[in-house]
Amino acid sequence: MSVAYRSLSGIVGFALTALGVLLFGSFLAYQRPGSEAPLPGGPHAHYFAATAGCALIAWGGALAAGAIRGDLSRSLGTASAFALVLMALMRMLAWFSGDYYVAGDLPRAEAAAFLLAALGFVWLRPRNTERKIWS
Amino acid sequence: MTRWLATTAIALLFALNAYMPHSALGRRGNERSVRAHVAAAARLVGQPLPALEFEDGSGRAVRLGDLLPRPILLVFERSVDW
Repeated sequence: MSVAYRSLSGIVGFALTALGVLLFGSFLAYQRPGSEAPLPGGPHAHYFAATAGCALIAWGGALAAGAIRGDLSRSLGTASAFALVLMALMRMLAWFSGDYYVAGDLPRAEAAAFLLAALGFVWLRPRNTERKIWS
Repeated sequence: MTRWLATTAIALLFALNAYMPHSALGRRGNERSVRAHVAAAARLVGQPLPALEFEDGSGRAVRLGDLLPRPILLVFERSVDW
């Protein structure tokens, strides 16, 4: 497993975990009596944001584990690339929607960053032969 | 082979992402141009409404004048392409 792939997995894993903790924390903060909504939206938005936060923590943790354990890293890289492409597609659709107009070109920029990261996971993930060495 | 297939798909998405602002749907201007348009349209406040013509739910043409003198409430709702 290359140092570049290990770094990519570690950095993306940490970023996803941090975002997950932030989303879950927003839900907890919203439960305090008389609190202001940390996220734009009501109870349902916070409910689903917390659910997404839990999934992000799991994904980020798995990537971080993949950066350490090489036998998992190839499959995790494939799954992460797929998820990043999906997230990019979602943002490209959102860019066309009037609902996200105030965000300007941010969804497009995020989509480009996710596609770049996906490309990194596709090309830097260990080859099959390399995985067999670990198992 | 799989890597190249994935790379091709991602490269196509990259190209689409770059092309989006130049597409017919994406050529909607930035927020500044939209605000300028709104400011220009606001100069019509206080002027009589133009003879607008709409299509009702069954596809029939409805002119604003046909509805007068009953009170009319016009509701404008944004669409995806606004």
